[in-house]
Amino acid sequence: MAFSPLVAPSPSATALLKKGSATGQENESQLRHSSSDREITEQLNDEVRHKYIKAKKLGEGTYAVVFLGHLRADPSSFVAIKKIKVNAEYKDGLSMDAIREVKYLQELSHPNIIALHDVFSSKDQNLNLVLEYLPRGDLEMLIKDSNIHYGVADIKAWMGMLLRGVWFCHKNFVLHRDIKPNNLLIASDGEVKLADFGLARSFADPYLNMTHQVITRWYRPPELLYGARQYSGAVDIWSVAMVFAELLLRVPFVAGNSDLDQIARICEAFGTPTEDNWPGVSKLPNYIPADANHLIPGQSRDFFLRQFPTAGAVGADLLMSMCTLDPRKRSTAYQALRHSWWATEPRPTNKEDLPRKSGGTKKMGDDLTRRGGELDDQFKHAARQLDFSAMKA
Amino acid sequence: MAANYWASTQRRHWLFTRERLAEIREGLKEKDKVAHSQFPLPDQRLLNIYFSQQLGRLGKRMSTRQQALATAQVYIKRYYTKNEIRSTNPYLVLTTAFYLACKMEECPQHIRFVVGEARGLWPEFIAPDVSKIGECEFSLISEMHSQLIVHHPYRTLSDLQPELALTSDEVALAWSVINDHYLTDLPLLYPPHVIAVMAIIVAVVFKPSSQTSSYGHPAPIAGAMREGGMNFLAALSDKGGTGPPERIQKLIAWLAESEVDIKAVIECTQELVSLYEVWEQYSEKNCKELLGRMVKSKSLEK
Repeated sequence: MAFSPLVAPSPSATALLKKGSATGQENESQLRHSSSDREITEQLNDEVRHKYIKAKKLGEGTYAVVFLGHLRADPSSFVAIKKIKVNAEYKDGLSMDAIREVKYLQELSHPNIIALHDVFSSKDQNLNLVLEYLPRGDLEMLIKDSNIHYGVADIKAWMGMLLRGVWFCHKNFVLHRDIKPNNLLIASDGEVKLADFGLARSFADPYLNMTHQVITRWYRPPELLYGARQYSGAVDIWSVAMVFAELLLRVPFVAGNSDLDQIARICEAFGTPTEDNWPGVSKLPNYIPADANHLIPGQSRDFFLRQFPTAGAVGADLLMSMCTLDPRKRSTAYQALRHSWWATEPRPTNKEDLPRKSGGTKKMGDDLTRRGGELDDQFKHAARQLDFSAMKA
Repeated sequence: MAANYWASTQRRHWLFTRERLAEIREGLKEKDKVAHSQFPLPDQRLLNIYFSQQLGRLGKRMSTRQQALATAQVYIKRYYTKNEIRSTNPYLVLTTAFYLACKMEECPQHIRFVVGEARGLWPEFIAPDVSKIGECEFSLISEMHSQLIVHHPYRTLSDLQPELALTSDEVALAWSVINDHYLTDLPLLYPPHVIAVMAIIVAVVFKPSSQTSSYGHPAPIAGAMREGGMNFLAALSDKGGTGPPERIQKLIAWLAESEVDIKAVIECTQELVSLYEVWEQYSEKNCKELLGRMVKSKSLEK
């Protein structure tokens, strides 16, 4: 995403922040000006901040700016520094996106999840996330570039890395809720990394509601489109299946231009959800009863094989298992990883030998500043509306 | 709860030994001896009781989940291992910890709403300006190095309920014992499963007349625990003999087979007993006055 004119820095707000509690109301906190006892932690923070040098700006979005940086001690070890903007987020508290991102990346460490090396605060009270540097762009870039040729062995390698990352999230009770090709970044060694945890959350306790306004529309599963408030890792698996299909077709597989259109297209592609193929579906809040004269039957394995010939029979079977309409029957990440496709020829390409494209650094900057749930600039029908009322039990 | 406790930042960065914790606090005290003599404060646990009651009041109007209140209490504890309480406005820290914890536990409240409620409760200590909370939130997050996920014992309790065939009374009692442990340093000293096991033992073995303890009259519990504790310790060491009732024997057998650190569990139990003893001296009025005097004179200095 490009610069947003909406959030030109307001000097007054910044000045206010810097001033801290030196003047003003009588009840002001002594938080920032509490002299000596803050030294130790400030030193610690300074040490972290000093470890890195910010070089050029890679991208800027509404709530973050991303810089290319490197270790002071070693100019050849690059990092991406994501600075959460003060004026956009700060006066009303830190946004849920920033909180979620920090919260989960601090705890999840896996080769297929973007690493958070450090967090430090800068003098103007910005939160800076020091992220792994992923210079080779994202999967979307490769899918869209018609000069790049890739085959099923490459797809198998990418899908394997993606599924391992998703499996790790789910194993740790975290739902990502925004899996799509431009959140799948590529490291210099070719490793695919799941990024942007701005919409992630932990599994809810049983019977507690979650919002259904998550996951970018084209990758959003039918249960969320029908307004389900209790759901599982199956939502991410649907997205993974849509990424799989997109890698095979090189265009988004079900690209609706509204939520209703998205449902219609899913029905066309996979069959109409009914009580027969998905018990309980008619009880979902936004369920639309299907026209009895226009019921599309569920698709058979043949359909998938015809639609995705490159995947082969076994690959089509895996895809089908991940986009089953009924989320309870959908494969889990673990099941998908145990599928026989991985043991079928061809073997996945070694990550070092995967197709690559230059210009990835700029793309990383864009990817890291975009808000979750957004499609690219021209498609602004985003999933992002986390209203507070929707999240209460 | 998310992620894996054993790999968590809580285990790696926010678990202290008693000695270390004492050292840290001594260090904070050394830095500002004047403030310490000028503003005496009650026992840390009594202050914690006060904070927890105030948090409860704040959370009540917004019908907040218990888990968010628990997280807020842990944030306050963590924050005060980095900052001397006398150099802060505890009401602001409390409100902010609450606000941040609500976001973390997926029950967010709007900042204006939180400030409005907090001002309703403590008009003298909370400014109408929401950016104060934003500023304090930033300070909380940086002091905690953005390590925000807190693992609580509640989940272990519900996991163990079927395994140990706990009755709903026992679960309720164990639950309130867990609530009470946030009034002590235990969340900074022991992993959540040890706390949960301790709470279960208290509930099953001591059965302090099935009365829930939270903010009520803890004295009977302390008494019951003193007596019951002896029996329990005797049962643990004395394998032969007549032994305790079957129910308790089963629990002991389970404990023996589990790899839970029994010594740690016993230390937690003792910590809880002494909490209930110190609770008898609790006076809300006293805490309120001492804190009030401290915050007001601090803001006059400026």
